[in-house]
Amino acid sequence: MDAEIYIDNNSFIHRIDPRVKIILFLLTFVAILLFQDPIWMLPITFLIVIQLAISGAFVNMRRIKYILIVLTVSSMILWNLFSSGDTKLFWIFSVESLTYAVARTMLMILMISAGMILITSTRNEELVNGMIRLGMPYRVGFAISTALRLVPTIVTSTITISQAQRSRGLDLESGNLLERLKKFLPLLVPVFISTIRSTNIFGMALESKGFGASEERTFYLDFEMKTSDYLVLAFGILFMLASIYFAIMGYGKIEGLVRA
Amino acid sequence: MKEVISMWKNTRMIILVALSAAIYAAFLIVFKGGIPIVPGVTEVRPANVFPPVFGLLFGPAGAWGSAIGNFIGDLFGGTLGVGSIFGFFGNFFLGFIPYKMWGATFGLVPKDDMSQTTNTFKKVLAFELVALIAAATCGIIIAWYLDLAAIVPFAFLSITITVNNFAAALILGPILLVLLYPRVKRWGLVWTDIMVKEDVAKGFGKTLGSILMIIGALGGLIVGILVAVGAADQTLYGFTGAQGQVAVWLSVLPFLLMIILASFMLSGREQFVEEEED
Repeated sequence: MDAEIYIDNNSFIHRIDPRVKIILFLLTFVAILLFQDPIWMLPITFLIVIQLAISGAFVNMRRIKYILIVLTVSSMILWNLFSSGDTKLFWIFSVESLTYAVARTMLMILMISAGMILITSTRNEELVNGMIRLGMPYRVGFAISTALRLVPTIVTSTITISQAQRSRGLDLESGNLLERLKKFLPLLVPVFISTIRSTNIFGMALESKGFGASEERTFYLDFEMKTSDYLVLAFGILFMLASIYFAIMGYGKIEGLVRA
Repeated sequence: MKEVISMWKNTRMIILVALSAAIYAAFLIVFKGGIPIVPGVTEVRPANVFPPVFGLLFGPAGAWGSAIGNFIGDLFGGTLGVGSIFGFFGNFFLGFIPYKMWGATFGLVPKDDMSQTTNTFKKVLAFELVALIAAATCGIIIAWYLDLAAIVPFAFLSITITVNNFAAALILGPILLVLLYPRVKRWGLVWTDIMVKEDVAKGFGKTLGSILMIIGALGGLIVGILVAVGAADQTLYGFTGAQGQVAVWLSVLPFLLMIILASFMLSGREQFVEEEED
């Protein structure tokens, strides 16, 4: 499995300052949650689709298409089960519940898309550096950055160990729950041991390079906010404020929807 | 809670945060489907054994590692969403509670042998107790928030997460700890070997703290489900009923506050006794 999601591109989205991208990501979450009616979610949907296209994140969305299909199908059925409305269609479906189900499905897909745009267009180092510059303590940022870097390596070694154990007769798919869970032990132990044993050497290497010697950090990777970054940020904030205004004014609700 | 902050000044603890996060995330990604308990509804994730084991062995580093690892799992798995925020806090407690409660398990872990392993039957029971409390706490934190945001019903999600978290820990946890503890101890990587006792919270009324933690976790789960099923017509294994109901989140809120209070009351310092005797 390839755990690398970042796509090396030079799109407009890629060039935006990571700090701006993180802030926009958080603003997007709030904007998505403001409305019940899918019609009112269309502007944010349009913006997200544009970003997916520009950043090339559609490639990664295709990689998780099965998760998206399962989410969409289950969401469309389940949200109709616990909402209803005056305009009956058939069985559990009414116009209002169907509209609401579409909105909740869009909410989930849009949130996943927003996350996908962020990590498709931002390198791990940029993401963590952006978080640090937004106020996250450096040591926390270092831990996250190291973990992000190690995940693909550990995923690969987990798959290698899994294949080695399978070739020696390990069958993870048969047996009852207890038996199947116990079969994971020959995978868990080697992965844990092979990763954790490097801690002391890793620590010595870091400290010999002066890690933690000074609270003041300098970064090889340097960002500077450009005019385009300020414009994008201003647009994001204005969009957010407009969304909040319309939500407060009572727009974006589904008339006749009963959530019970 | 002091050690949750003070651990960040120790390089090896920071590395343990990174490594445990990476291991947890890798297993979450590779075995994303898990083993179905109720097909299409809930499954056991083998990776969920790691947070309580990390918590006991690496202390606060294990707690942070579990939280960050779950977040990275969402990031790489393409499921980063609004649930990831409270997923972070829920998984933090999944690693935090085991090491905080280990020395306050009503005598199951003897004062003269606080080693973080399951080498006796009583210690196996202690592990299962702390793993259950941690699993339920994680379940109610995530479910409380997602019900509040009207995304997933409390009754369904709280029991699903609790079962998910606890099943793997129940079966694999004690075996894994017995196998891993001697090696981790030999490498000097058990958190009580790395941290200084003074950097760990003193705590107060630890036994009472432990009782409050149990009431907070299991009480929150049971009362929350009863209110959700009774007042909001939710069902345990289904998406029926209303969400975002004031009754549900108000009934669970005191239990969450109880868990936070218990976190300040519990210590972890008692696990340093062994080192002092050496």
